[in-house]
Amino acid sequence: MAKDMEQVYQARLGRYVTAMRNEKPDMVPIRPFVAEFTAKYAGYTCQEVTHDYEKAFIAARKCAADFDWDAVVSNMVYVWTGLTEAIGTKYYGVPGIGVPADRGFQYLEPAEEKAFMKPEEYDELIADPTGFLFNVWLPRTSKYLSKIGKPVTFKNNLSFLKGGMAMLSYFNAFGKQNELLRKESGTVSAISGIFKAPLDIIADKLRGYLGLLTDLHERPKKVMAACEALMPHLEWVALSAADKNVPIGYWMHRGCVPFVNMEHFNNFYWPTVKPIIESIWSKGYQVLFYAEGNWDAHLQSFAELPDGCIVYHCDKGDIFRIHKEIGHKFCISGGIPNFMLGYGTPDEVRARCKKVIEGVAGDGGYIMDASAIIQNDATVENMRAMTEATRQYGVY
Amino acid sequence: MAEKKEVIRKPGVAFPWEGKLKELGEIKGDAELIKKIWEDVDALAYVYIWHCLLSF
Repeated sequence: MAKDMEQVYQARLGRYVTAMRNEKPDMVPIRPFVAEFTAKYAGYTCQEVTHDYEKAFIAARKCAADFDWDAVVSNMVYVWTGLTEAIGTKYYGVPGIGVPADRGFQYLEPAEEKAFMKPEEYDELIADPTGFLFNVWLPRTSKYLSKIGKPVTFKNNLSFLKGGMAMLSYFNAFGKQNELLRKESGTVSAISGIFKAPLDIIADKLRGYLGLLTDLHERPKKVMAACEALMPHLEWVALSAADKNVPIGYWMHRGCVPFVNMEHFNNFYWPTVKPIIESIWSKGYQVLFYAEGNWDAHLQSFAELPDGCIVYHCDKGDIFRIHKEIGHKFCISGGIPNFMLGYGTPDEVRARCKKVIEGVAGDGGYIMDASAIIQNDATVENMRAMTEATRQYGVY
Repeated sequence: MAEKKEVIRKPGVAFPWEGKLKELGEIKGDAELIKKIWEDVDALAYVYIWHCLLSF
C-alpha cells in the first residue's frame, strides 16, 4: 500500500472515530450512505449493481476515489438479488425483473392474510426461533423450498446449496472490498454488522405491519414473548460481524410513533432493544441508530442509554432538536434532505450544510450525511456541493 | 425490562452437538475435535438462516 494513502486512511479513521465518540476531530467527517447513487455515478444501471455485486463494489470504490469522503458503506446496495433469486425469495421486486432496470430494489409485503407467519404460530416461534425459521418461515418465503413433510425436490436442494454457497461468497468478498477501499482511496468502511429490533422483525418479515398491529391488541403477551425469544439471536448476529472501530448498523423501521403508539413503543419496542444495546456496549461495540423516518418522539428513551454507546442518525427528525436533547450524549449524523440532493440546487445544499454544521457540529460529535440512503435521484452536482460545503464550513 | 431467556436452540446453533453425539455412538478418537468442528460448521447454517431473516 502506498504510504501516503495509508496516511490518508489513518487520518480519516481517526476523524471518523473521534466524531463517533462525540469528540471534536480536525474537521467534520463525511460518511454518505451512497446506494444506487454509486451506479448512476459509475455508469451502471440499478439492475447491474443490484444483481452483480462486483459492479456494486466497483461503483462504491469509484465514488470513494473521486469524492473526498471519509467513510462509506462497502456496498450500500446491500441486497444482492443474485443471492435472493438463488434462494427463491418471494418478497423482492428485483430491478430488471419485476422492477424497471433503472429503479432500486423493492420490498413487497404480503397482504395481512398471506403473512409469512400465522397468528396461531407465535408459540412455535417463541419455543424455538431458529427451528421456526428453517421449518416454517423459509419454506414460505422461498418459491423453491418444500414444506416440512412434503417430498424433497431438486429445486429445494438447489436453493440451500446455491443460497449457502452464494452467501458465503458474498460475505467473504467484503473483506477484499474493504481492503481495496483502504488501498485505493484511503476510505474507511463505515459500519460492520447488522442489528434490527425484535418488533421490527416481526412486522417486516413475519406477521407484516398490519398483522403486528392486530397482534399488539389481540395477543400482546405473545408478541412480547416473541420479542424476548428473538433478543438473544439478534444480539448474537449483531456481534458476529462487529468491529470495535466502527459501529454496528441498526436499521430502524416501523417501531416508532405514529406507526405504533407510545404505549407500544414503551412497553414492547424499547424494552426489547435497550438491553441489547447496553449488552453490546458492555462488550466494547457502538451501534449506529439509523433512525429512518422520524423518531423524535422517543429521544428521551434513547437518552437513557450510556453516553457514547450509539451514533444517532437523523432522517426526517428535527436535527437541531435532536442535537439539543441527546447531542450531549451521542454523536449525530445526517440532516441533509434527500429531496434537496435530488431536486434542489447546489446553493441550497451548501446553505443547508452550513446551517447543520453551525447548529449541530460546533463541539464535534457530528458526521455529515444525507437524511436517508442516497439513491439515483441525487445529482452529482449536489453531492459535490455537500462534500465541498462540509470541507469549507466543517474545519475546526 | 425484558428478560434474556434461555432458549432450546441457543444462538449460533442450528443442529446441536448433543443431537449429533447421539448419532455417532462411540467416539474412538478426539471427541473435542469432532465437537468443535461440528459446531463451527453448524454455525454457518445458523448464520445463513438468520441473515436470510435480517439482511435479505
